[in-house]
Amino acid sequence: MLCDDCQKRPATIFFKEILPKKTVELHLCEECAQKRGLATTKKMSPIELLQKLLKEKTAQDAQVICSGCYLSLAEFKRTGRFGCSKCVDSFGSYIKNLIKKVQQSDKHIGRTTRPGEKKGMEIFKLRGQLKKALESEAYEEAAKIRDKLKDFGVENVE
Amino acid sequence: MLNNIKWLFRSGDNSRGCGEDREIVVSSRMRVARNIDGVPFEPKMKVQDAHYLINLIRSVVETRFKGHYLDLQKITHLEKESLLECHLVSPAFIRGDKPAGVFITDKGTVSIMINEEDHLRIQGLTCGLDLPYVSSEVFHIEETIGEDVQYAFHETYGFLTSCPTNIGTGLRASVLLHLPGLVFTNEVEKVLTGAVQIGMAVRGIYGEGSEIKGSLFQISNQHTLGVKEEEMIETMTKLTHMIIDVEKKARDVMLTKARNEFEDKIFRSLAVLKSARVINTDEVLNLLSAVRLGAGAGILKDITLDVVNEILLVSRPANIQLYFGEVLEERERDIKRAEYIRKRLGGDGQ
Repeated sequence: MLCDDCQKRPATIFFKEILPKKTVELHLCEECAQKRGLATTKKMSPIELLQKLLKEKTAQDAQVICSGCYLSLAEFKRTGRFGCSKCVDSFGSYIKNLIKKVQQSDKHIGRTTRPGEKKGMEIFKLRGQLKKALESEAYEEAAKIRDKLKDFGVENVE
Repeated sequence: MLNNIKWLFRSGDNSRGCGEDREIVVSSRMRVARNIDGVPFEPKMKVQDAHYLINLIRSVVETRFKGHYLDLQKITHLEKESLLECHLVSPAFIRGDKPAGVFITDKGTVSIMINEEDHLRIQGLTCGLDLPYVSSEVFHIEETIGEDVQYAFHETYGFLTSCPTNIGTGLRASVLLHLPGLVFTNEVEKVLTGAVQIGMAVRGIYGEGSEIKGSLFQISNQHTLGVKEEEMIETMTKLTHMIIDVEKKARDVMLTKARNEFEDKIFRSLAVLKSARVINTDEVLNLLSAVRLGAGAGILKDITLDVVNEILLVSRPANIQLYFGEVLEERERDIKRAEYIRKRLGGDGQ
């Protein structure tokens, strides 16, 4: 099908509008659709959109400070990067709107994190203790630490 | 010589083979971004935080998985560039100045970057099209680490990341496609515009900001919030299948309408690769594009896609130097590259 306007290029955009008394249907090529203002030009990527939105600054930005890492909203707008896990809530509604525009969504619906006892820190500490015990040739102590690590399912103990 | 590039063997699980449609899909990749609760994110991270995080993650990862860790501050510039060329790390990662490192699993399919823009970037890679497999490998590691450390997670926004464009799933999936057919029939722009319209980004072979060369295109998802991981993988896979179909049709058109011209181009390209004495990476990419097409279409019976993929990787500037085990200036590289390719393809005067 050829474009309704130029009758030259193939139509790739189909436009339909239902008005009270009639229905308008148009089959256009991209160039003609743009001339009529019906097709947006290049779509902005989330990163481009973010950079554009961060340029909108207010006088209060320097006073809005994250309770977790003391990053100010002004600083965030400069870099576009959060300083800690508390920033999103500290910057409240500003972030809510920003994320909605950038991501075209405001709610996570994917995987979640499993809450519960995390053994990472414990393993980390035990490995440190094991290293020290081995260095000071306290083999009995080292054996005990190895057993503890094995209880955590850690097989690969050196 | 190949074992000079230690991680080259690891970039692709050889025991398992590749995913589907290898003649069109060069590789499938996926990464998730994660941060650890209670540790400052990149902009507020101090050197001691960076060391603490590395030690914490290493103690978890190295006790749970087989693989090896590379300290970014202890490897050479060449090795860093090589990791990038092998798609095992990101450009931002090797350019950072904080203590950082990467753990590469022995199985070779997954790399874990510690202290990238996010605390963790867990990335999986395979040849051909198989995002579900890559995803299962990545999430297996993500879940295992998640049993030992608490990820930064928000009820509304999901997994928290340093940049708002990664928040939610933290997932970026991509496929590297070879589309000479669509380039020939002039349809590639139309097809890729369609991909952009459904929320995908299109880039050159080396990601953001890189040029499109050798008819290679990388497609990845743009949004990470409000969509489930599995659905994103499915959408990407469906889209890729659609592109594969139109590319196959375009190749048929190309090889029916201009069979002689294309066979000529394919055989000439192979002949140049087999005989060249001085060759740069751009020329390799272009000639290899024709050879890849010929190998995929069964026109070049003695050339496998494995060889094409290997040459594509090894002829990159850093990899070629590691391959020969010496630091080479640009001109010397072009000579050595030609030497390697002649040898690999059984060309003359090897």
